[in-house]
Amino acid sequence: MEQTLVNLNVNPCKMCMPMGSVMALYGIKKCMSILHGSQGCSTYIRRHMATHYNEPVDIASSSLTEEGTVYGGEENLKKGLKNLINLYSPEVIGVSTTCLAETIGEDVPRIIDNFYEENPEYRNIPIISVPTAGYQGTQFEGFFKALFQVVKTIVRKSEKNHKVNIITGPISPGDTRYLKNLLEHFEIDYILLPDLSENLDSGYHKNYDRLPSKGASIEEIAMMGGARYTLELSTFTNKENSPAEYLYREYQIPYKKLNLPMSLRDIDALIKELKYLSGKNLSEEVSTQRERYLDAMIDSHKYNSVGRAVVFGEPDFVYGTVRLCAENGIVPILVATGSKCPELKEKLQEEVKQVAESAFVEQYEILDDVDFQIIEKYAKKWGANLLIGNSDARRIEENLHISLVRRSFPIHDRIGGQRLLTLGYEGTLTFLDEITNTLLAKTESSFRRALYEKYYKGEKIKYQSQNYLENRVFNKIKNRKHITNIQLKDRGKEGSNMLKMDTSTKNTIEQKTKTHPCFNSGASDYARVHLPVAPKCNISCNYCLRKYDCPNESRPGVTTEVLSPEEAYERYLEVDKQVPNISVVGIAGPGDALANFEETKKTLQLIKESNPDITFCISTNGLMLPVYANELVELGVSHVTVTMNAIDPTIGAQVYKYVEYMGVKYKGEQAASILMANQMAGIKLLTDKGIICKVNIVMLKGINEKHIPEVVKKVKELGGTITNIMQLIPVKGSAFQDLPLVSNKEIMDMRKTCGETMSQMYHCKQCRADAIGTLGNDRSIEFSSCKGKCGSKEEVIQELQTCHKSKLLRFAAATKSGMIVDQHFGQVSELYIYEYTNGSPVFKEKRNINKYCTGNEECGENDKISMIVNTISDCDGVIAMRIGEAPSKKLEEKGIRIFTTYDRIEDAVILAASEILK
Amino acid sequence: MELVTGVLEERKDFIRYDREGCGGSGIRCDTNSVSGAVSQRACVYCGARVVLNPITDAFHIVHGPIGCASYTWDIRGSLSSGEEIYRNSFSTDLREQDVIFGGEKKLTKAIEEVIEKYSPKLIFVYATCIVGVIGDDVNAVCKSMSEKYHINVIPVKSPGFSGNKSVGYKMACNALMELIKGNLATKKQVGVNILGDFNLAGEIWIIKEYLRKIGIPVISTFTGDSSYESLIKAPTATLNIVQCAGSSTYLANRMEEELGIPYIKVSFFGIEDTTNSLIRIAEAMGNEKAKEKAVAFTREETARLEHFLSQYKKRLMGKKAAIYVGGGFKAISLIRQFHSLGMETVVVGTQTGKKDDYEVIESIVKKDTIILDDANPAELETFMKEKGADILVGGVKERPLAYKLGIAFCDHNHERKHPLAGFEGVINFTKEINESMNSPVWEYIHELEEE
Repeated sequence: MEQTLVNLNVNPCKMCMPMGSVMALYGIKKCMSILHGSQGCSTYIRRHMATHYNEPVDIASSSLTEEGTVYGGEENLKKGLKNLINLYSPEVIGVSTTCLAETIGEDVPRIIDNFYEENPEYRNIPIISVPTAGYQGTQFEGFFKALFQVVKTIVRKSEKNHKVNIITGPISPGDTRYLKNLLEHFEIDYILLPDLSENLDSGYHKNYDRLPSKGASIEEIAMMGGARYTLELSTFTNKENSPAEYLYREYQIPYKKLNLPMSLRDIDALIKELKYLSGKNLSEEVSTQRERYLDAMIDSHKYNSVGRAVVFGEPDFVYGTVRLCAENGIVPILVATGSKCPELKEKLQEEVKQVAESAFVEQYEILDDVDFQIIEKYAKKWGANLLIGNSDARRIEENLHISLVRRSFPIHDRIGGQRLLTLGYEGTLTFLDEITNTLLAKTESSFRRALYEKYYKGEKIKYQSQNYLENRVFNKIKNRKHITNIQLKDRGKEGSNMLKMDTSTKNTIEQKTKTHPCFNSGASDYARVHLPVAPKCNISCNYCLRKYDCPNESRPGVTTEVLSPEEAYERYLEVDKQVPNISVVGIAGPGDALANFEETKKTLQLIKESNPDITFCISTNGLMLPVYANELVELGVSHVTVTMNAIDPTIGAQVYKYVEYMGVKYKGEQAASILMANQMAGIKLLTDKGIICKVNIVMLKGINEKHIPEVVKKVKELGGTITNIMQLIPVKGSAFQDLPLVSNKEIMDMRKTCGETMSQMYHCKQCRADAIGTLGNDRSIEFSSCKGKCGSKEEVIQELQTCHKSKLLRFAAATKSGMIVDQHFGQVSELYIYEYTNGSPVFKEKRNINKYCTGNEECGENDKISMIVNTISDCDGVIAMRIGEAPSKKLEEKGIRIFTTYDRIEDAVILAASEILK
Repeated sequence: MELVTGVLEERKDFIRYDREGCGGSGIRCDTNSVSGAVSQRACVYCGARVVLNPITDAFHIVHGPIGCASYTWDIRGSLSSGEEIYRNSFSTDLREQDVIFGGEKKLTKAIEEVIEKYSPKLIFVYATCIVGVIGDDVNAVCKSMSEKYHINVIPVKSPGFSGNKSVGYKMACNALMELIKGNLATKKQVGVNILGDFNLAGEIWIIKEYLRKIGIPVISTFTGDSSYESLIKAPTATLNIVQCAGSSTYLANRMEEELGIPYIKVSFFGIEDTTNSLIRIAEAMGNEKAKEKAVAFTREETARLEHFLSQYKKRLMGKKAAIYVGGGFKAISLIRQFHSLGMETVVVGTQTGKKDDYEVIESIVKKDTIILDDANPAELETFMKEKGADILVGGVKERPLAYKLGIAFCDHNHERKHPLAGFEGVINFTKEINESMNSPVWEYIHELEEE
């Protein structure tokens, strides 16, 4: 914002009074807060606190409504008190008011009296009323107002005791813990109000406390009236809200107000006071801490001398931080608080002036009642290099690139705000180190370039072009790629050495080949089972349409269902029982066995455990073969079929639409070369280890028919055992659906030619991915889990898409979400009209019913239904989640079919259409 | 029906708790929060601000004491490709004197100053809780300012006590209609307006890119990454597509009735919704070519995700989810997304779900799934523990509760910094679920519990 606005608060550097009040009450044991006002106040404050403290923050609300606002909210508040007692069993309750409650003039003390009168059983629970109209001050005033009211309500004239009352403002739980340690160190018997050490920074334990159980107890607080002394760690409390002053007025307890101990002078002052109160000398521990702090001040003083800070936030925090800065030579060029607090300027003027003058800084300012618009303006104008305060200055940090040291409340964009330390020699030291380091980080990250830009006068190449850096990075990556390739190669070698076959394994494989019906035409009595566990494929062949699926068709890639490894194992056991001579377990899709390697592996492992002698066979397109070859051998796979249609990328490019490899989709010749390189490398890896490899080649007219002999030669070279030249099965919808077929004679001739190179398979049946039995007799349908039932939704859709092409049907779907059929027919105000044709549903339009009828008040239920029915009289069917009897009848009269379902609209339309077309 | 501790007597009707197997005849919902129950709901102002906030070049002036502005300043993840004015907080910061003597003068001066210094085209003035009570006539101030300066100064009636967040949505939609109708453009052009997308983490950019790819022009967006100039073009569009139905159906209805722009509801959460929505939009526009492109594009994207999802599913399968979100649509969509990841939803609740939302929820979850309207932390705690939820999806306030109970968490709120819409969103969502639920920290946490 370039121009400041004087009549508006722009980006507030403050919160409201109720926020401070509930925060203070969190330092009281088993205290539950309720805000008397509308629901939002409590929710917003909870959100604000939860994000800072990373703790659940539960604050009730009297949830005032319009009615409560007009007639008074007494009933709401009383009900709220009762409910929160039931839910939280508090020992004390704080009622903080809001703008609304104060403006409508709620008399909370009277309401509390009435509450006790009506519910005498709750008289033992003190209820503290805190008047906190949002317009009367900020969270800072709200915080002390709550403490003041606590003291006023709870403290009674009690016997003199030896305790010291310690009052603090809004400090972090981490700092509170420090303070308690210090008091214990001095063996001072104290009452801390509030005790924020635990409730807003609690540990994880097994049983969650809905209402945190630490903090100052009511009993302790009551005893404050008999204490010997009060120390109030706040500079800016006043007669209206200072607990110390109140205790002095009412119970004549002497007191002293101290500044927050965040600078050497103020820490010393506190220590001096504690020495006096405890009668003890300074312990070695504390004096060592002090010495270390002094040492740190020296170590960092030169770095700090360049600091030009903007310090903002609550008055006490700002005051302490400014004194810390001043002691260390950091000039606070802007000191700002969002609270109305003219005393801040009075108290700090001299201090800031001195440090500014010693650094020859002429412009500085101390302001109260300001917003971040003003803060940003000064930060920019006077060249601040440091912001110190809460995370609400993140916008300035972002806009002006000035680092923000996050302290105080709230801290929303970092974690751990509740544990940040600022008090005492050690806490202040961590704070100071962070400030210094922020300044250092800026210097360290920029001085090389800054000095180069300033003093280097030669030819400039270094920081000029981004390309310079990019090129270097690029070269680095290129080199790395090179290395990876070498590593891969080496690994391959190592692997093959490791897995060299011994002769005994070789013999088993020979044995296995004899009983494998596909590899040995003499083994036709042996049966095999194909387990369809591999649905995905990583390449797209132009002759394949992976969606198509029908139990009555037989060809590779077809299955009626996909099984999980566990189901596949079950299927195997079942088949083994019923089908004689099962010698081979194969995984042949319906996608690619290696594109689903985890499933393939799991399946084989399960079966291997129950039958270690079975022959494992897989078929694959070979893309992932180099990656998994070793694992396949380890799994005990002895036979692998690779479909390799070409070894020339220009030919391959005509066969494959794409190849997806390592997360990248390749097309054209690039795709083909990757695939082929992997196929060949994979086959070589396998045959080196004695695995029997069969290579399938689909003969494609005009594409690879002349090229096949070369492929076969290559297979031979790679150590393959047999090649299987197959006919194309044209699949409707695939790219090759219209490719002319090769004749049987052509196939036989080709096999004969290639037979001169190596042995050929003449008995292939081009089986399904879930084939079971001998090659001549597929029994898969007997074992299908959906036998007897109608097909799955996908099957129905598939069938419809092929069988009922021309018929046009119109449907009306009742939907609220627009995605799902999820509405009662009677409740619709609109219907989505779909037309079904050519096997696919098409959205046509949305028809409104409400245009003519807005519901029961204006026209009867029947009229509305007639209206709906009329709106869709041209439809063949209605699809709704539910439908009443009357409308059902009406629709039936009109000849409109009814379908009730909860399903995706498009799917529901297809299923409905299939019903009609049956 | 026996209920466990943690549920107030008067809250029982708002919960479907089916321990004994008796099905409820629907739960109570869409009514005021129970006082003292610690509702997670916000207020009318919050709802209005959600909808209007993303308009990037508007001055959003909160008329009231400072709190409302303080807690809503730049907390949402709506992104802008242009102006950043909306990321500032403007408040009349009413003080005691103003409460006594009225704040109209202060508001008038503030608006005048903004106009004189910044010449904005659009100002929204939010009337918060006490404004009406102290007798300020915000409508009159806005009207006179509009007339005096010939710009749009639009009042948003949003006192917190006048309903819940949904009422706020409606008030915001009314403000938007006032804006559009006051600047009525007539010449039609083929294209869509996107309603109910607030460009959280750049989601509207993702959707716009999808639409560009399939050849559907986008005229205007409500209200993610929008501006005065873009909004007033809205009446020229031929179709509205409504995404966050809870907040924007009302606006879509008004635009349909008063401007004759038909609308369809769409969703871009999850693969199936995204796919169907893109195809549907093409169909509704009667654009065959776009439809072909949509089919091809979505098929390609789906294939791209296949491997990713199958990898992740293995680690998510069988886990239990709890859902507590703002509206019904989001809850339903999340149940379905979890389902597609092989996860079961054991607890589901919303702040502002309607009766029919809950009917749908009831019909898609298991019989013993807990359903809650306007739940409080005590109920969430009770039921998540009882049902053994592995992860909670919710807003900022629910996160620490989940963590304190040792439950993983997924941020599905307006502060998130990663998109959850479209195909990209599927990846982010799945990853986040996995990252939180399968983090090593839980092993140590549960070890502690076993000791």
